[in-house]
Amino acid sequence: MIVLQLVVNGVLLGGTYILLAQGLNLIFGVMGIVNIAHGAIITLAGLFTYWFVTETHLSPLLLIPPVFIVMLVVGGILQRLLLEPLAKLGRSRELLTLMVTFGLSYVLVETALNFFGSQYVSLPDLQTTWSVAGLAFNEALVAAGALGALISGGLYIWLRYTASGQALLATSQNPVGAVTCGIDVRRMRAIAFALGTALAATAGILLILILPLSAPTADTLTILSFVIVALGGLGDYRGAVMAALLLGLVQSGVGYYLGGDAEVVVPYLLLITFMVVRPQGIGHATR
Amino acid sequence: MLGGNLRVRGGALFAPLIAAAVLFAASAAFAQKPIVVGASISQTGPLAVDASYHLKGIQVGVADANAHGGWLGRKLVLKYYDDQSNPGTGVRLYTRLITEDKVDLLIGPYSSGISQAVAPLINKYERATPMPGASLPAIFSAGNKWAFQLLPPATGYAEGTLPMAKAMGAHKVAILQAQLSFTLACGRARLDQAKALGMDVVYSTTYAMPPPDFSSIALAIKSANPDAVVVCSYYPDAVGLAQALHRIGYAPRFFAETIGPAEKQFNSAIGPIANRIMSNTSWWPSLKTHGNAAFIASYKKMFNEEPDYHAAGTYAAVQVLGAAVKATKSLDQTKLRGWLATHEVETVQGTFKSSPTGLSLKFGQYMFQIQGDKRVLVWPTAVAQGKPEVPYTGQ
Amino acid sequence: MGQWLERRLSAPPTTPATAARGPRPLAVAILVAVIAGAGAMPLFTSAYVLQLATDILTFAALAYGWNIISGCTGYLSFGQVSFFGIGAYATSVLVLRAGVPWYLAALIAAAFSGVVAALLGTVMLRLRGIMFALGMLGLARILVVVASDWNYIGAAGGLTLPAELTPIAVYLAMWVTVVGAFALNYFVLHSGWGLSVTGVRDEETAASAIGVPTARIKTAAFIMSALAPAAVGGLVAWNRSFIDPPSAFDPTLDLQVIVFALFGGIGTLWGPALGTLVLVIVGEQFWAYLPDLQLALYGVLVIAVVLAFPGGVVGIANRFGWLRRRPVLAPTTLPSVSRPPQPAPLGDETIIEVRDLTVRFGGLVALNGVSLSVRRGEMVSIIGANGAGKTTLFNAITGFVKPSEGGVFYQGKSVSDIPSYQRARQGIARTFQIPRLMESMTVWENTLLAARYGKRGGDAVEQAAWALHTVKLDALWLEPPSKLSPGQQRRLEMARALALDPTVILLDEVMAGMTRDEQGEIRAVLRHFRELGVAAVAGVEHVISAIADISDRMIVLDRGKKIAEGKPDAVLRDPLVIESYLGKVS
Repeated sequence: MIVLQLVVNGVLLGGTYILLAQGLNLIFGVMGIVNIAHGAIITLAGLFTYWFVTETHLSPLLLIPPVFIVMLVVGGILQRLLLEPLAKLGRSRELLTLMVTFGLSYVLVETALNFFGSQYVSLPDLQTTWSVAGLAFNEALVAAGALGALISGGLYIWLRYTASGQALLATSQNPVGAVTCGIDVRRMRAIAFALGTALAATAGILLILILPLSAPTADTLTILSFVIVALGGLGDYRGAVMAALLLGLVQSGVGYYLGGDAEVVVPYLLLITFMVVRPQGIGHATR
Repeated sequence: MLGGNLRVRGGALFAPLIAAAVLFAASAAFAQKPIVVGASISQTGPLAVDASYHLKGIQVGVADANAHGGWLGRKLVLKYYDDQSNPGTGVRLYTRLITEDKVDLLIGPYSSGISQAVAPLINKYERATPMPGASLPAIFSAGNKWAFQLLPPATGYAEGTLPMAKAMGAHKVAILQAQLSFTLACGRARLDQAKALGMDVVYSTTYAMPPPDFSSIALAIKSANPDAVVVCSYYPDAVGLAQALHRIGYAPRFFAETIGPAEKQFNSAIGPIANRIMSNTSWWPSLKTHGNAAFIASYKKMFNEEPDYHAAGTYAAVQVLGAAVKATKSLDQTKLRGWLATHEVETVQGTFKSSPTGLSLKFGQYMFQIQGDKRVLVWPTAVAQGKPEVPYTGQ
Repeated sequence: MGQWLERRLSAPPTTPATAARGPRPLAVAILVAVIAGAGAMPLFTSAYVLQLATDILTFAALAYGWNIISGCTGYLSFGQVSFFGIGAYATSVLVLRAGVPWYLAALIAAAFSGVVAALLGTVMLRLRGIMFALGMLGLARILVVVASDWNYIGAAGGLTLPAELTPIAVYLAMWVTVVGAFALNYFVLHSGWGLSVTGVRDEETAASAIGVPTARIKTAAFIMSALAPAAVGGLVAWNRSFIDPPSAFDPTLDLQVIVFALFGGIGTLWGPALGTLVLVIVGEQFWAYLPDLQLALYGVLVIAVVLAFPGGVVGIANRFGWLRRRPVLAPTTLPSVSRPPQPAPLGDETIIEVRDLTVRFGGLVALNGVSLSVRRGEMVSIIGANGAGKTTLFNAITGFVKPSEGGVFYQGKSVSDIPSYQRARQGIARTFQIPRLMESMTVWENTLLAARYGKRGGDAVEQAAWALHTVKLDALWLEPPSKLSPGQQRRLEMARALALDPTVILLDEVMAGMTRDEQGEIRAVLRHFRELGVAAVAGVEHVISAIADISDRMIVLDRGKKIAEGKPDAVLRDPLVIESYLGKVS
């Protein structure tokens, strides 16, 4: 019975992780760049949600559509301004984009600090727990997992079966080839980044219901998302799902049997193990 | 660790402004040099919010002292800088306060971390200094002569929790603590105390900060089925654990967490789950400690809000310094130190009394409970505002 | 915007035309004055300024340490604070439990940190850039948890050291550390050995192909980058008389160091010092008015530097002709060839042999049971339509691809266990289809690097000069590769190959993109390869007209299989060969 609940917990936790990581995965998969500002975007969105709910007493879920759209626009603008100038560079591109997103993350964190302060905040919404067959399912976690699954499924379908999605995939696999197919790779890059940041912001809206967020600890989320993305194979969408679930399950088990300290180290130990044993991650991407 | 930017905040503008206002209000022409009290405050960085209360307490203390004519016939002036929540910057700023600004008196910084960094400096330069931000006993151990603890020690911080739980019929207890020095010291003391009280520790774990997901720990607690869950926590873990227990539908009869529940936003963070959670504090507004009512009134007048335990701690520091200065009639550090080491002072936070190494011996410990949207002092019974409500139900 | 950036980044970092050897006398004089002045500073200033100066020096030392692995070696590390913490703890333990004097303890801690870096490097340096950065970040997190749990080092409560007031001694020790870190940077940026580091950063694969033991070089650089932070950590722990996990592994330390080094000029000699000095002093004045924007300003600064002047302050200075890096070991003028190389001995032994070589990539069979050989004295051309497997063949011979079946033999011995850099050193040189030249080094340095690993063992400078003369690139010897035409770039690749003093050269489409005249020059070199000391040449080519008449033998590959072999005339008329290129004529 305990084991079953542990599995449920692990899957739900994995769902949260999927939500965290897919935005980052998309950006890396298509653009080959690492968005270090990922955690800052999530946190900023979460803190904004806190403020919104506290002021208006409306449901945080109402924020999802407007925030998503606004972030699409903002993300696109950021990409054009800050990252597109670097896209033409050769070898130094990776390093320099890392730096730019690094700088961006600090700008975002400071903004969050100034508007929302440095303390942790969380929201008491979606706190109902349902009991199904003696197993506990919490509303916020289920919602997060559902959204994460929706995003992953949506991404998968879009990338595989729509023209625009395939164009994005093509750009990620071979930018030069994509150009010769008539794909506007500049637009693809902007779309990928915009989408990635929009997904991150959406994740933040739900995340504030699940765990306390604070501006100074935004980078913890970035690191965690990276671990998941790296475990899954950078850019591999299905791999990320598997990695998120694996991480959730392992953490769930370790936390129960070995306590809180061991649980914290699990992501990093898993990452290092994979780095040594199977650097391409769990997924089958050939990138 | 080390300050990113080594600049000095122009906050020194504010203190003299307030002091000047008080001066005019007192309408006495003082030609004498003011007594300069120096400190570093974390005005920016992760500690900023709590440190702001730390600062306000000092400011109220200085203002009140001046309203009563100052010390030794001289007015007090506060000089402070921003250490950006950074121990290294704190070290540099205290060096500056001591060697360049040559302030007359010092008050310690906010948080154990920065206090720990600054304490050796205090000893090296031999300045008698109250430290209202330091709860770690390690700072006040052998080798320390000049720093004085102005908080209850971490080990004693939650000492009322287990006896209260036991009095309510709890035998099996789960004790958790965050992996930071304060909460670890507190937690270890709880574990020892549980043994001494003959209670059965059925589950115990530590967890690193920032806190992990608590669902499996919550499940482990549920499996152990304790009567009481006692957590030496900070804020995010207090929230996280309460939520995690709720999510698996488990509610221990007695649920106590440190620090987190004392924060103003704890209730709004988790809503009805917070009801009947117990917590600890070193100060409460209803207490009849020395100068408490006046302190609350001054604070409200100056800042238009209720003071909290951080402000009470620093106000007490000012009270202690004042007592020492007035008793020795001097600002000589050796005399002040000698006096502080051997005397008691009544403060808003209770009785200040120091061990030979500066450890505070007599500050009080209190417990409060969240009851609905109120916070009620429930222990010790002598000063309690109301009765504790059990069991904790998580709603 | 992108083009503008590209131009900025290709601005010559080195002083062109004339190159004096060694540091400029004026610079040395200034350096000595600064060192002496800074060392004497404690006599003139207050405790606060001394503390401030100590903190500045701390950052400078950390920035120099970071610069070595991230700037000079190209492995961006977001977790150098790990070594800071390791050094702090090691020093504290030595002082507390072994009674070692603090300055000695810091030194030992630095050495210990180097050992840790060596061990860590075996795992971490195998990863590509992003994973390395991420891994280092995660390492710092793990170390916090480990340190918080480990009672011997005080667990979460940390360690308290004896409180002794020694600000001047600490300042001097910190100064020594900075000078040491600076010296290490100088060594990496100005020595012959250091060229290997730059080579690894610019083109790790090509570096391997010219004999650079990339793994060892990276590890050495990693070790070097760990020494300064560890020493600094120890000194800071001593100065504060206290260390605990959060302060030992504080991530904001990394942020500041990165900003300072980036602002000053990443990968340069003066960048870290300039960046730290300017930002600290500017910050002190400027940000007093905007304390709530400090982090944001750092972020904006990083972005601005990257987009507008990625070379940092030093990059800007370079544009005005200041602080330019001098080419490594460059003589005042390029010596003309003093002695001709030994011509290759005669004989007909097999130099390279490939037996039943099969290479599979997943489901794709790139090479299918190919057997061929290259004998002493021969020039063999290998041709075939696209996708025939020609480059894969070269990759297998030089060790960049592992055969799925079959073997590669060099001078009779199997090379399957020999890594690519050693094959290069043993005499197998190659050029690349798309030139992989080290962009931040001059033509001279590209060649010199290969010459250092050459078989000859004699003077690398002479060997490099000879190689450049042979391909007629001597006039351009101090230009960066970006200034060369595509044909000249290929000639540089050839010069690099020659500089290795190879036994066999594998040319991968060397004629592509060359003008007729350039092709002629290469052909002239190839005709006389024996006199140049090379035993055999194999060339993959599409421009068949350029190599047909100078080849002794021609081999044709088609979809992974060898379909023809023999004298060029005969092979080119072989109907199978024609069909593979043009398709069947029915």
